[in-house]
Amino acid sequence: MALIKIVSSIIIICSCTFLGFLYGKKYSDRVNHLIYLEQCIKMLETEIVYGATPLPEALYNVYLKGNKKISFIFEYIREDLISNKRGEVLDSFISIKDVLATKLQLKDEDIENFISLGRVLGSSDRQDQQKNFVIILNQMRELTREAKIEKDKNEKMFRNLGVLTGLAIVIILI
Amino acid sequence: MENKGANIYDTVLENICIDLNRPLLNIPTSYKEKVEEIRIRNGSFLTIYSGGKDYFVTKEGKLSTKLEEGIKIEKSHINKTFQLISNYSVYAFEEEIKNGFITIKGGHRVGIGGKVIYGNNGIETIRNISSLNIRIAREKIGVSNHIIKYLIDTPFTIHNTLIISPPQCGKTTLLRDIVRNLSDGIYLDNGKGFKIGVVDERSEIAGVYNGIPQNDIGIRTDVLDGCLKSDGIMMLIRSMSPEIIVVDEIGGKRDAEAIQEALKAGIKLIATVHGSTLDEIMSRSSMKELLNEKIFKRYIFLDRSKGVGTIKEIIDVGKSTPIYLS
Repeated sequence: MALIKIVSSIIIICSCTFLGFLYGKKYSDRVNHLIYLEQCIKMLETEIVYGATPLPEALYNVYLKGNKKISFIFEYIREDLISNKRGEVLDSFISIKDVLATKLQLKDEDIENFISLGRVLGSSDRQDQQKNFVIILNQMRELTREAKIEKDKNEKMFRNLGVLTGLAIVIILI
Repeated sequence: MENKGANIYDTVLENICIDLNRPLLNIPTSYKEKVEEIRIRNGSFLTIYSGGKDYFVTKEGKLSTKLEEGIKIEKSHINKTFQLISNYSVYAFEEEIKNGFITIKGGHRVGIGGKVIYGNNGIETIRNISSLNIRIAREKIGVSNHIIKYLIDTPFTIHNTLIISPPQCGKTTLLRDIVRNLSDGIYLDNGKGFKIGVVDERSEIAGVYNGIPQNDIGIRTDVLDGCLKSDGIMMLIRSMSPEIIVVDEIGGKRDAEAIQEALKAGIKLIATVHGSTLDEIMSRSSMKELLNEKIFKRYIFLDRSKGVGTIKEIIDVGKSTPIYLS
């Protein structure tokens, strides 16, 4: 009987801890995804401002060079641009909104900031493109900073909460 | 050959926004083969020029001469089409836009109209684009096969040649095919082609897109794309050791000076000029000098008497009668 109690207590504590960690991971994932996204946008900036590479090719290069956890979205945008021929880069950015929301740990404001890049991308000369990149990257940095503060605050809390909830349940049951 | 014409037209349409693309795609095939220009003007009607006439395109893809049946162009049509033409990369075409046109895949040229913005170094860009003119380039391989023999001097050299023609008579098409022939050398007695340097100021001869000539200009041809003729001639002499230099639409004083320079270097020249008679060309001071010095040994005259690209006559400067008559 005692053995069963010990085993089930361990299971409860472990699963609660796991849940706590899982919840906490959301915050560190958001930070990571924002950092990778920023890196990809910087690559795109280099391709456009210094290389004057045509947009579909530039997007493909970012997809190849960037961290695959994020860079796959650039390939999605490129495919949409080429296959649908809508004549609007923004439409192709909007078309992957669902992907951004479901496959990545990004908040609405992160997604909006990224999509705002689609409003200006490719539609003006290099000087103008660079100015827009600077604005978007600044906002990106600000979002990353906020995400980091949130992560520091919440990640540890959820982890501890997981362990403690597990312990609490065990104590009550015993 | 005829279907090829329609295919070329269909490929050009890939660069036009979807709202205008569908009606244009549905126009009768017989017209597709002859379309020379597609005109998109803000606030005006979608127009095509085919066989020397202009037609308005209806929503169903029919061609009409009545204004009210045509599709009215909105700003969004122009913006979307411009995005497609520039491959969503206006920044990659800064220099082309400054010159007022973009060359698209296939060597077709798109002229741009709009608000021209000046900066410290001349034209900076064109904003608020108000009209687009898509000129469909039709390469005609083989149009010069029967006249190549008139241009050959000895097996190893050619005569300096001037092609004289009014606009829209196939001047550039003929020039391009002469380049291809002389470069490949198939129709030459010794079967060996010449090293040719082309100064393609308006991207019309080779139609370079992404660094690749879209037209067949022969295997021994080098191209300086988008380069001023006067600069290009000097650059080719210095670096590419051409046997023949080819330029389109000469006329300026600096062009004439560069040509003199090329001739001193022992290089042969093929050029075109706008005009219909020798007297007309003589009236331009820079050209007068070139003609008086009898630099060009062959004059090829074109007109439209038997359709676009009719070679009216070829004149040998030393003889009183033409050596070729159509």
